[in-house]
Amino acid sequence: MSSSGISGRLSAGAYFCSVALLTLAGFALAMFVRPAFGHSMLQWMGLESVPQAEARSFYATRVSSLFETHCTSCHGEKRQKAGLRLDSYAALLRGSKHGAVIRPGDARNSELFIRINLPASDSRAMPPSGKTPLTPDDVTIIRLWIAQGASGVRRTIPGAPQPVPEVKIPEDAPALTEKLRAPLAAQVRRIQMEHPGILSYQSRNSAWLEVNASLQGAAFGDAQLQALAPLRARIVQVDISGTSVTDASAPFLAGMPALEVLRLGGSRITSAALAALERSNSLRSLTIGDIETSEDTLAPLRKKHIVIHGGADVR
Amino acid sequence: MENERGIHQLDLARIQAQTRRHFLGWGTGGLGAFFLNSALAKPPSHPGGENAPLDFTRDPATPLSVLPPEFAAKVKRVIYLHMGGSPSQLELFDYKPTLARFHGHDCPESFLKGKRFAFIQGVPKLLGPMFPFHRAGKSGTWISDRLPHLEQAIDELCVIKSMKTDQFNHAPAQLLVHTGDSRTGHASLGSWVTYGLGSENQNLPGFIVLISNGGTTANAGKPLWGSGFLPSVYQGVSCRSAGEPVLYLDNPKSVSRDERRKVLDAVDEINRQTYDQFGNPETVTRIAQYEMAFRMQLEASDAMDIRREPKTVLKRYGAEPGKTSYANNCLVARRLAERGVRFIQLYHWGWDSHGTPVDKGLNVGLVGRCKETDQPTAALLADLKARGLLEDTLVVWGGEFGRTPMWENRGGQEMEFIGRDHHPNCFTLWLAGGGIKKGISHGETDDMGYDIARNPVEIRDLHATMLYLLGFDYRRLNYPYQGLDQKLTGVKPARIVSEILA
Amino acid sequence: MSVEPPPTHVRVWDLPVRLFHWSIVLLIAVSWISADQGYMQIHLISGLTILALLLFRIAWGVLGSTTARFRDFLHPPGRIIGYLKGRDGNKWFAGHNPAGGLMVAALILILLTQVGTGLFANDGVRFRGPFALLVSEDTSTWLTEIHGLVFDLILLLIWCHIVAVGFYLLVKGHNLIAPMVTGKKRTEYVPPNSNLIFVRSYIALLLFAVSAGIAVWVMAQGGYAL
Repeated sequence: MSSSGISGRLSAGAYFCSVALLTLAGFALAMFVRPAFGHSMLQWMGLESVPQAEARSFYATRVSSLFETHCTSCHGEKRQKAGLRLDSYAALLRGSKHGAVIRPGDARNSELFIRINLPASDSRAMPPSGKTPLTPDDVTIIRLWIAQGASGVRRTIPGAPQPVPEVKIPEDAPALTEKLRAPLAAQVRRIQMEHPGILSYQSRNSAWLEVNASLQGAAFGDAQLQALAPLRARIVQVDISGTSVTDASAPFLAGMPALEVLRLGGSRITSAALAALERSNSLRSLTIGDIETSEDTLAPLRKKHIVIHGGADVR
Repeated sequence: MENERGIHQLDLARIQAQTRRHFLGWGTGGLGAFFLNSALAKPPSHPGGENAPLDFTRDPATPLSVLPPEFAAKVKRVIYLHMGGSPSQLELFDYKPTLARFHGHDCPESFLKGKRFAFIQGVPKLLGPMFPFHRAGKSGTWISDRLPHLEQAIDELCVIKSMKTDQFNHAPAQLLVHTGDSRTGHASLGSWVTYGLGSENQNLPGFIVLISNGGTTANAGKPLWGSGFLPSVYQGVSCRSAGEPVLYLDNPKSVSRDERRKVLDAVDEINRQTYDQFGNPETVTRIAQYEMAFRMQLEASDAMDIRREPKTVLKRYGAEPGKTSYANNCLVARRLAERGVRFIQLYHWGWDSHGTPVDKGLNVGLVGRCKETDQPTAALLADLKARGLLEDTLVVWGGEFGRTPMWENRGGQEMEFIGRDHHPNCFTLWLAGGGIKKGISHGETDDMGYDIARNPVEIRDLHATMLYLLGFDYRRLNYPYQGLDQKLTGVKPARIVSEILA
Repeated sequence: MSVEPPPTHVRVWDLPVRLFHWSIVLLIAVSWISADQGYMQIHLISGLTILALLLFRIAWGVLGSTTARFRDFLHPPGRIIGYLKGRDGNKWFAGHNPAGGLMVAALILILLTQVGTGLFANDGVRFRGPFALLVSEDTSTWLTEIHGLVFDLILLLIWCHIVAVGFYLLVKGHNLIAPMVTGKKRTEYVPPNSNLIFVRSYIALLLFAVSAGIAVWVMAQGGYAL
């Protein structure tokens, strides 16, 4: 069927060859006119090395998260406004359809920095109004990073603002909590029923216990305190202010392996018993109220970094 | 007559028939739909990942019983010192030397364009700080010379200079600070906290309000410590530090405590019969409240009685038994904290330094307010610390908005006394106590003290942070009402101010 | 009496079909460029015009002239493959040949998809399609993604279309472009007993008016005014 001889007509083979060539030429033109596309094509074909950033680099730890939060919803996987992707180090260096957005070493002339540094009233400002803006610290981080070479390797950039600490809210772990509470759960319940208001778990997700007998007054004494003996390993806080607990309970208190906070102002504990507390390795806060004591007694406790409240201030 | 009755009965029958018909007609379809909905519906997704909702149910007889926080709390109680009217941050904590240089100049147009002010009109003049500032303590925090006592405790404070609000009138601004919404109807901070945690002392209210310097109510009224949509048992109880601690708590003169007990027993019996008949748990709560009031008669008087304090302590606070004063209230606050009250709120009025009457001028009124509050506040902090309570108490001090860097010119006229108008853009608030970094400043305003330059903190961010310190994810302390899981922080996402956490 | 020489050309394409074809060509270009350069208002109007034209074309495919009707050029897959393999011999078609018919169907469907997803799309910042608020933001974003992917498919199809038409022109010597402009094919290329019926253009105008009305209604749903 190929009638290459007839004027005006091509052979099918010649035609499709031309089509193939034209298609390639079209791609080449697109790659030339849109450098970002060009680079991504070359990298995809393996003809260009894909720039990578190290996991512990300044870029990975401080810069990329900024882009993720403020930029990639429009410049990322789902959308590529102006042909720009900011969701990877390689993409960032490829730039947008207008060209490179980062000039390593020169922040002031980097289009990305120019845009994020524009006043909010400028219509070209990035992120656009309506989106969470970058804080001045964020802009400084990006500026310093570009100015220091936009490296994917460097770990620290001098002068960069400190990272904002993140608050991690602990997640519920009901099964684990249940398991940790199980051994003493029955005893805790019994004591809570017999003496309501004294014993409670530190939190819904904790198996640690807190003892607050300060509202019991004189009715709470050594016997009641030592009735908590089965639970002593799990007690982290004891408040026996104003109770009738005496020095006899001091060894018991000192022997609690997890006790961190102890308040005994207004109880019948005296200075003599305070020395016993030196034994504790967990205690970090001690309130002695107006118990008469001397610095000699308190010094060893302070040496163990136990904060002591009370004394002269209370009188 | 007959006719009318007949018609009336027919009407009734018609209405009843309609109801039956309606019910039988679409009700069954509706019932089917309800069943399908509950059978097929996924459990609602909860913020905070896959965590189940927190359960705040309690025995209705003990609505204020203690519930543990969600996770380990840094603080167990809150003392909120609200400076009503709003203290001028530019005269106390936010040092603006550039503003001082421009004192007396006309306010630039950029500050005025498109803005609404409470009272400023036309072009006011800029007003530099009225008092000298200096760095104090080891932390070098800026403070003016108006708070010499508080200065001693400056290294305990975390001063937030970048608080912001969107309300420029007292009532809605106070509501926003204390209930999370500028309109009435929402539960206050103290109500949320007592709802979530209960109170350690069942003989005292969990949430107590003490007011000084100006009547018994705030601009925004009792909703500031109201329970909103939360059960009313969580509302704040306004107590007085002079005379009867709680109005109408004491028995009338002719009624003894025994007789009161008999009355209560009778009321209890009637309420129990009501409960047997209707089974409404609110009835049980009501019984519990009467019982609590009975117990409070003894304990409240004792808690509020500052005459029992040694003279040295009274002197340290500047407290005078028998009077109503901020100093007395601070001392009472410490006593209440010791006695397991969960949320103690102090209101002190008169900080609204517009400069209109002389006692509202910066150079008179503000000076007076500082004198009244400086010593007791410092004494309270020191006292809490000495008793080991500061490490698990959160103390908050602040107003409801800031004050303008401009000299207020009410009605466009220059004023005889010096004052500043309301300024929602930025104000200062400080925190002290457990879980808070000591001796730091957070946030900055611009050179003129007009806008926030760094680290803005919304009211809801402050609330989220407070709830975090109390051991709650602010999203999970919620209450279903009007089809929404209501939260203190409202519907907008809030940010826990992690930079100030220790 | 002299016998008139037989006409050299036969009318095959009516005016509405031709106008439709070239308007779509123009509007695709306008939509492409306006989206690329960020002129979203123009993109909206262009897209809605395409919607109106597509709705019209579908109606015309049922009610229009013979060569415009779907019945005329849509063939079962077996027939299409047979045609491509050359089994139909040198049979001519007045309207679209089976392969051409396939291309028409594909383009109409894919353009409908594009317009359809576009109605729900959003650009993440300032602009959204008229129906974007009727679905969740996630759905809208997903549909926007599809809108972007389908665009590449459209480009591919257009290229195929051009290559195919070029093949007919340069290899087979059969000019398909001129007829789509003038409406007339050389008599040799039209089967003699075609019996083409042409529907009056004013009916097309009526149908287009209705389609345009629908498009305007869609635009109004998004709160956009004309």
